[in-house]
Amino acid sequence: MVEFKDVSVTYSSGVDALNKVNLKINDGDFAFVVGSSGAGKSTLIKLVLKEIDATSGTVLVNGFNLRKLRRRKIPKLRRTIGVVFQDFRLIPTMTVYENVAFVLRVIDAPSKYIRNRVPYVISLVGLSDKAKAYPTELSGGEQQRVALARALVNDPKLIIADEPTGNIDPALSYEIVELLKGINECGTTILMVTHEHDLVRHFGGRIININKGSIAFDEVVEGSNESK
Amino acid sequence: MKASSFRYLVNQGFKGIWKNRMMTFASFCILLVSLLMVGLAVLVELNLTRIISGIEGKSEVMVVIKDGTDQAGIDRLEADLKAAGNINTVTFYSRDAAWKDITEDMTDEEKALFDYAEDDNPLPDVFKITVNDIEKMSETTAQIETFMNVESTKSPDKFTNFLISMRRILTIVGFAVIAALVVVSLIIISNTTRASVFSRRKEINIMKYVGATNSFIRIPFFVEGMIVGIFAAVGALFLTKFSYEGVYNVFNSDFSLWQVLGIHNLYKFSDLYLYVALAYIAAGALIGAIGTSISTGKHLKV
Ligand SMILES: Nc1ncnc2c1ncn2[C@@H]1O[C@H](COP(=O)(O)OP(=O)(O)OP(=O)(O)O)[C@@H](O)[C@H]1O
Ligand SMILES: [Mg+2]
Repeated sequence: MVEFKDVSVTYSSGVDALNKVNLKINDGDFAFVVGSSGAGKSTLIKLVLKEIDATSGTVLVNGFNLRKLRRRKIPKLRRTIGVVFQDFRLIPTMTVYENVAFVLRVIDAPSKYIRNRVPYVISLVGLSDKAKAYPTELSGGEQQRVALARALVNDPKLIIADEPTGNIDPALSYEIVELLKGINECGTTILMVTHEHDLVRHFGGRIININKGSIAFDEVVEGSNESK
Repeated sequence: MKASSFRYLVNQGFKGIWKNRMMTFASFCILLVSLLMVGLAVLVELNLTRIISGIEGKSEVMVVIKDGTDQAGIDRLEADLKAAGNINTVTFYSRDAAWKDITEDMTDEEKALFDYAEDDNPLPDVFKITVNDIEKMSETTAQIETFMNVESTKSPDKFTNFLISMRRILTIVGFAVIAALVVVSLIIISNTTRASVFSRRKEINIMKYVGATNSFIRIPFFVEGMIVGIFAAVGALFLTKFSYEGVYNVFNSDFSLWQVLGIHNLYKFSDLYLYVALAYIAAGALIGAIGTSISTGKHLKV
């Protein structure tokens, strides 16, 4: 669960990126976050990951009050969140398998569990035959699917994706969102930032529109292709 | 942390060496050259000090015994001298032996000049002593002059002072050179490791985003730095051995100039080998490991 109460962010440069934002995303939700460039969408994501702190207001994520969360405890928070970025952010010196397994090694998972879980998750995103490949040997869409596998291998409560389809073919974007939808149906909360209106229109669901640091619109919209 | 996780991290450290071989190699070379420079400077300093000590050891003080002192008095003085502090060797040099040494080098005419002394040797009995610490020589001679049956002492003051100031200069200059080399090396090494870690900051960032703790990220870097440091130490050790032995062989030859200058008496590398090896490996491993993990520090704050 993610909750923002009167959250404002002012960067040290003086830019007011968010202005008294109130927002609640319940467990199991799937929400698109849209808005023009510079509206404050990435700032919202950074807050959830505690990459930055709110200038004022309260941010609650998966039971953590981020204002009170000590720096040393940040890894604990992040282990409950899967992240997908526009630029994939895979570790270039690790294979697909190792990139995904790394998340489990971080939490000290038993090696037997890792050996079973990682191939399973890689198969979920349809990359079983690329498990031994390095990120540079993959297409953008494939890299993003690896990132997705990495985000969900740990069975997080929440997956946040900052423009996960921004760097890949529009046709493949649908595939990525389909995957996210599938994950969502298993109970994971998904928060996805996107610029692609077609995508949002196609899938529908909860849409949060941010404009100049404030929420301009937050409603559930019928998708044009929900029934398929 | 589980043993299997720890093994994984150490393993990652080893793998990192090959995966980042360009930067690893750069760090290796920089560390090796630094160790070599500092190591050779220390060895040169050690040997110069030894050469001076060697010369110092040869500078003798003559303790002139009062005329007419009997054997018991001489024996007593010898015991007193040996018991005094800062004394290295004590040798009795009798007036007869001294006379013989002097006359041996004389021509017959010269001998004739000293004919009168044949039965009445004008030379005194003396003790020749050498001291441990040449800087305390004047205190030592002052003490000796208070002993019973001592007529006077004769010490090579000018030469001693020269040696003392030589040694002081050498100590200061040597220390300054070594300190400067250490500082320069540390700066270069820290820049190299910083660049090496900087090239992997994205990787560190990603690890933080998926919930890795700082130590989880640091351990492989630490291991990697340590291993590179050890390899650099081994490399430096071999180069030191070859260059040192090369120089040693030149100065240890029978060429008399070196003997005159006292440079033939250098440390053998085999005597220093263990210390050099330990110092190199300890310094290499420590600087490599700590340098690398300090450099990761600032990229961990995400
Ligand atoms: N680190 C920063 N320091 C200062 N100002 C920043 C920083 N990051 C973002 N900003 C500013 O804050 C505002 C919101 O930025 P943010 O990245 O949240 O926008 P966004 O909605 O994600 O835009 P985009 O769609 O282009 O990614 C912008 O005006 C931006 O210039
Ligand atoms: Mg953004």
